[in-house]
Formats: sequence, C-alpha cells, structure tokens
Amino acid sequence: MDAILSEITNKFAENEDFFIERSELLDVPVFFLGFHSLIDLTKTKTNIQRNINHTIATKASLEDCLTLLGEEKNVEDAALSILEGKLIICLEVDSKCIVTAPVSKPLNRSIEPPTNENVLLGSLNSFTEELEANLGLVRKQILSEHLRSKSFTVGRTQKKKLSLLYLEDSTDRKLVQQVIKRIEANQEKAIQNIQSLAKALGFSSWGIVSKFNITELPQEAVFYLKKGRVVLFLDQFPAALILPKLLWDMFVLESDNNHPAPMMIALRLLRIFGALITLILPGLYVALVAINPEILQIELALSIAKSREGVPYPAFVEIIIMLIVLELILEASARLPKTIGPTITMVGGIILGQAVVEAKLVSNLLIIILAATTIATSTVIGFQNLLTIRLCKYAMVILASIFGVLGIISGLVLISAYLASIKSFSIPFLHIQSTKDEADHG
Amino acid sequence: MMVKFVRTSLLIICITLPLSGCWDIKDINHRLLPVTMGIAKQGEEYEVILQIPQPTQNTTKIKIVKETGKTITQAIDRISMNMESSVELLHLRIIIIDKETAELGIADILSGFIRAREVSSKTLLVICDEELDSFFANVNGAMESENIAIFDFFEKDKGWTPHIVLTRVWEAFRSIHSYTIDVAIPIVASGESTIISHVGSAVMKKGRMVDRVTSDESLLFNTFHGEGAEGKIEVMDKASVLIVDSAVKNKHQFVDNRPYLQCQINIDVVILEAQKGATNEVIKNDLEKALSNRFKELFAKIQANKADILGLGQYYRSNIPRTKLKEWRTAYYPALTLDVQFHVDIRNEGYIKNPS
Repeated sequence: MDAILSEITNKFAENEDFFIERSELLDVPVFFLGFHSLIDLTKTKTNIQRNINHTIATKASLEDCLTLLGEEKNVEDAALSILEGKLIICLEVDSKCIVTAPVSKPLNRSIEPPTNENVLLGSLNSFTEELEANLGLVRKQILSEHLRSKSFTVGRTQKKKLSLLYLEDSTDRKLVQQVIKRIEANQEKAIQNIQSLAKALGFSSWGIVSKFNITELPQEAVFYLKKGRVVLFLDQFPAALILPKLLWDMFVLESDNNHPAPMMIALRLLRIFGALITLILPGLYVALVAINPEILQIELALSIAKSREGVPYPAFVEIIIMLIVLELILEASARLPKTIGPTITMVGGIILGQAVVEAKLVSNLLIIILAATTIATSTVIGFQNLLTIRLCKYAMVILASIFGVLGIISGLVLISAYLASIKSFSIPFLHIQSTKDEADHG
Repeated sequence: MMVKFVRTSLLIICITLPLSGCWDIKDINHRLLPVTMGIAKQGEEYEVILQIPQPTQNTTKIKIVKETGKTITQAIDRISMNMESSVELLHLRIIIIDKETAELGIADILSGFIRAREVSSKTLLVICDEELDSFFANVNGAMESENIAIFDFFEKDKGWTPHIVLTRVWEAFRSIHSYTIDVAIPIVASGESTIISHVGSAVMKKGRMVDRVTSDESLLFNTFHGEGAEGKIEVMDKASVLIVDSAVKNKHQFVDNRPYLQCQINIDVVILEAQKGATNEVIKNDLEKALSNRFKELFAKIQANKADILGLGQYYRSNIPRTKLKEWRTAYYPALTLDVQFHVDIRNEGYIKNPS
C-alpha cells in the first residue's frame, strides 16, 4: 500500500491544493486523494457515506461497495484520473486504488448566447468549454439515431480530449475513416490549439485559408453534420470544428433558411459582393489613381485629382499607411477590455475621419474607400475567413500598384488558382456540396 | 516544401519589381489631362492647342496652352516640358482640326494617333470653321462662366442631337485605308449666344475634306446609319412633327457592273403642331416628299464628289472582285442608282384629334 500512496504523493506533493485524507469506510481505514481545487470534498464524502449506508442494507461487503463506487485502476491511470478531477480511494490494507466520480467544483460557465457570432433568426445557444456539454447541445439539436460520436485522448504529457461526431447516413465513410486514422496516428502529439490539430490531421501549417470551419452555434454545426461533414470538438475550446471546410461556407448560414428564398439568395449574394469589394476596392483605387486613370470618366478623374491635390505620398504608400492604421484599430479593439474599447473607436474615428484628410496626408476618396472596405469585410461569415480576405487584400494592392487593372485581374486569377489548389481529405476547397454520394455508400 | 516556396516567391518578387517599371508611374494629380486638342497646320509646322481642365479648390478652371512643332508629338512635348505636370492624352475626347488643315488632308495626323496609342481611338473628330485661336478663346470665355465642358456637346447622353455626326479617330483612319467607305465629320464654330454652334458636316474623302453638307442633311446621314432620329423636330410648311423612331431597310443589286440600291426608310412621328386644315394624310405626304427630296439632294452632292460617306460600297464588296474594288469610288459609285423611299407613320396626334 505504502508504495502506491507514496508514489502518487510524490507526484503531487508540491501542489498545495493536493490532499491526502485518512478516513474510515465501514471501519476499514482508507485514504482519499484528490485536488481541493477540483473536488468539493465535504459533499463528496457525504455522498460516499450515503451510498455505503445504502449498500450495507443489502448486507454486501466493503469489496462490493467499492466496486459500486468506482473502478479499480493501476497507479499510472489513477494519477491521470486525479488530474481529471476524480477522487481516489486507497485502501490501507490491500493496496487498491479506486477511482470515483466526486462532486466537482463548478468550474464551467453555463450555456450562453454566442459572443463571437451574431444570430439574427435562430437558436441562441452556443458551445461552451466543456466537451460533454457540447456533445449534449448537438444531440439536442439533432434527434437522430444515426449520430455517431468517437472520443480520443491525445498528447503524452499534456492530455487533451477530442471528440468526433458524424451522421452515419450522410457522411462519406472514407472521410470519417481518414480523420480517425490521422488522429490515431498522431495520438502521441500534444494538441493544444487549432494549429497543432491541423498539423496532426496532416494539413500544411502555411496555408492562408483556415482548414476548419469554426462555429460557436450548435445549429450551424448540425447543419454541417446533415450536409455530411465531420464535426470535431476539442476539450476546453468553445466551438465546433467542421471538416472539411469549403469555400461556400464563407457565404452560407443555416439561419439564412429562416428567411424566404429570395431574401436568402439576396443575403448570400451580398456576402459574395462584400468579399469581392474587400478584395478589389483598395487595389482599384491604387490602379485608377496611379496607373490606369484613362478608365475613369474625365469628370471623376478631375474630382479625384482635386481630392489628391497636395497629398505628398504616392497612392500605394497612402493606402498602405491607412490600411495598416485600420488593421491596428481592429486589432486594438479586439485586445482591449470592453470598458476601454469605445475610446479606440472614437480616437480611430477622429484619425480616419477628419484629421488625416485635413492634414493633407491622404485624400478624401481614400477614406471613403477604406470605410467601404472595412464594412464589406465584415459581411463574410466566420472570423477566420475574414482574416484570410484581409490578408489577400494586400496582395491585390501590391499587384495593382505594379500592374494596374491588369494586376487586379491577375490577382483574382491567382487567388482563384490558390483556392482551387486547396484540398482537404481529397475534397477540393471549391466543392459546392459535400453530401455523400449514393455510390460511395455500398 | 517550405524552402522551395520561399525560393520561388523570392524569385518572383525579384523578377517582378525590376521588370514592371512601376517607379515611373505618376499619380493622377501629377498628370495634366487635356480633353480637347486643336490642330492646325501652318506651313511646315503644326500648331497644337490643348484645353486642360485644372481642378482648383471649388471649381474646375480651364487652361488653354498653345505650342508649335514640326510634329504634333514635338508640340505636345514642348507643352509638357513647360508645364508643372506631365501632359497625358489619355482622356482626350475631342480633336478639333482646322478647316484648312482638313482640306489639305488629315491622313498623317490620324496615322500618328493610331500608331502612338496614347490617344484613344475612340476620340471624336471635329472640324472648326474658324481660326482655332479665336475659337478656343471664345469657347473658353463662354465656358468660364458656365463651368461645363465642350465635349458634353458631343456626348450621347448629354448634349448630343441627331444633327451631329459622330466620327471617331479609328473610323476616319479606316476610311482612309478602305476602298468602299468614307466619313463625315461635324463642323463647328463658336456661337454667339451659345458656346458652340453646329454648322454642318464635312464630307471627307480619303482623309481630305472635299465638300460640306448642312445640319439637316447630317440628320439624314445619321438616320441612314440607324443613329435614331429620336427627339428630332421636323418643321414643314403645314406642320411640325417629332420623329420618335426610324428604321432603314436596304436592298442592293448588282446588274451588269452597275450597282442599284433600293432604300426604304421608315419613320415614326408624333405631330406637335398642325395648321388648320392639314390632315394626317397631307402631313404624311408632305413629309415623305420633303425628306426624300432632301435625301436625293444629299446623295447627288456626295456622289458628285465621289465620296461614299454613306458607306454604300460596303454592300457590294461581295459583288465586285477584289482587284477591281479599288475602283469603287471612281468607276462604280458614280454609276450607282439610288431609289430612296420614305415611309412615314403618324404614331399619334397628341391630345387634339386631326381631321382625317
């Protein structure tokens, strides 16, 4: 006995919230082991006592009681269980470790409306940090006997739980098998964030398009499940990761279907338009002002020339300066606490709106272009997609500043070619629908 | 993989930057964008006048600069040298050519424009009936107060009327090198109460002005080319009508080396004013007669000049062998028999019924 106890104690001795408490169960001396920070010990003990009292009525032995309380495990597993927030009962006499489920401290937030995504019409629940709760949310959304889930524990020193969900009747089995195979092959690797997960799944970490479609909304996750995608949950990550990600996901929301069809189509077209505007508009400004002014109407050309009168920088430098200021504002308002956030908006607004123009650093027109671009960027679904488009915009500006309108066209072609080259699990990124083929089924 | 990617992108950047020449680019506010160019040949030298709008704080001021040179390019170069920004002819809308120069021939000027590519081939050609200096001075004086541009006069969605023949640089250039088509170019002068007055059209034969036609005849020219006589008011002795639509049907025949053309022009009109007693029938007949007489006169005039501004030769390109096509203007065109018929439909009579 002492061997086990001392081994576990050695492991956690330097943690102040670790406890070893000597107690007696049915007159047998036992030790309780666990973390104060994870376990509500008093309540747990009461619970155990109540259970034992209940079993005594049936005149069972302590052995039986203990098997009822939990399962016996070896030292390694017991130590891991302690980390997971379980309570270990060690019998003093015959060196046994019983792992039981205690009453845990409330360390999870409740299910709340989403914080990073807005829902106009649709269910307001969002995923939380706890894996089981997330699975439950999905199960509540979709009452289907075809829903399958599989769990993995990955990482050697830092363990992480990973869950995989799919609908058996609509998902391509090959896809599921591939994902499972990849995860199992990389079970030893530490997966702590999306990047390491992407690496474990065999994606290149240098692609500018995120490999997962990330959503906080159970409704959206279920929508993708029905379309034959695979959903991954990472423990303590409050969102669902949908695989594979397709281009169309940037523009389509499940809650669009709550509008009449013409409105739905209009909304989606608007998002596509927004993405195009973001890509093209800043580049177009540079191209038209610096390289191809012959495209403009003469009246427009003159009024642009007027607005640029006295601006010292070439158009490219001008737009890059302002775009970077804008990116700084966006990043700063994401970083700052909510109480100080509005200050940034105000100061940024003053800089962008008035002072820069009056100081003759940039032209009026550029401010309009910037505002339109920033607004248009935000129409795309998913923050990670927004980042992709924001980055592509710079490539377009650079190309436009070198080749003018031709550069914009070639930039669009390059971006299209890049998007067309992306594949995840042999499904092309530009694939329109990922419903399972009937042929694959049997 | 990564190394390869970095190497390729570095290579691309290294190639793109020096090859693009992007440091030569001038921003729009450092370019002068003239909209009108006047050209007159004085002896051996070309005189070039540029009308350059210059944006100022509240309004657009129009600047007129003049320079001479052995070639047009040299003259423009001299202007560019003496101005604070570089002159770019990208936005040139109108090229105004002095009448005497047009009579001497504009083939060289046009081929220069087409060759150099700087001037858009869509630029309009106009001939000026007075001295270019006084024309530009008068036009500019009138425009200072009204702040409008001269090219609005020729814009289809602005001040254009069907009397004005629109001919682009490429069309004129084509006509010089084509056996079977000539062009007409509008003639303008500075007006007394208006900025510009439209005088008529010049008949150009192989790039040389040989005759002129009136604005009424120019209207028929435009009608023949389907340039819609829309909105045009036709005044006769007994009534005035508004032409709302027109359509042309041509039937061509080539018998015994002689071209015949049957041309039917359908015109829809709306009656605006009518004298007492003028019935629909009378108005219709009068209008048909007046129009067809006017058309015959126009045709007789251009046929006598051997200038095929209506482009009738185009119909016979398949009938005449290629070797003989170059004789179209001299041998075939003068022998062409044109039978023109106007058919007028009165679409409505307004709120007052006409006695029928």
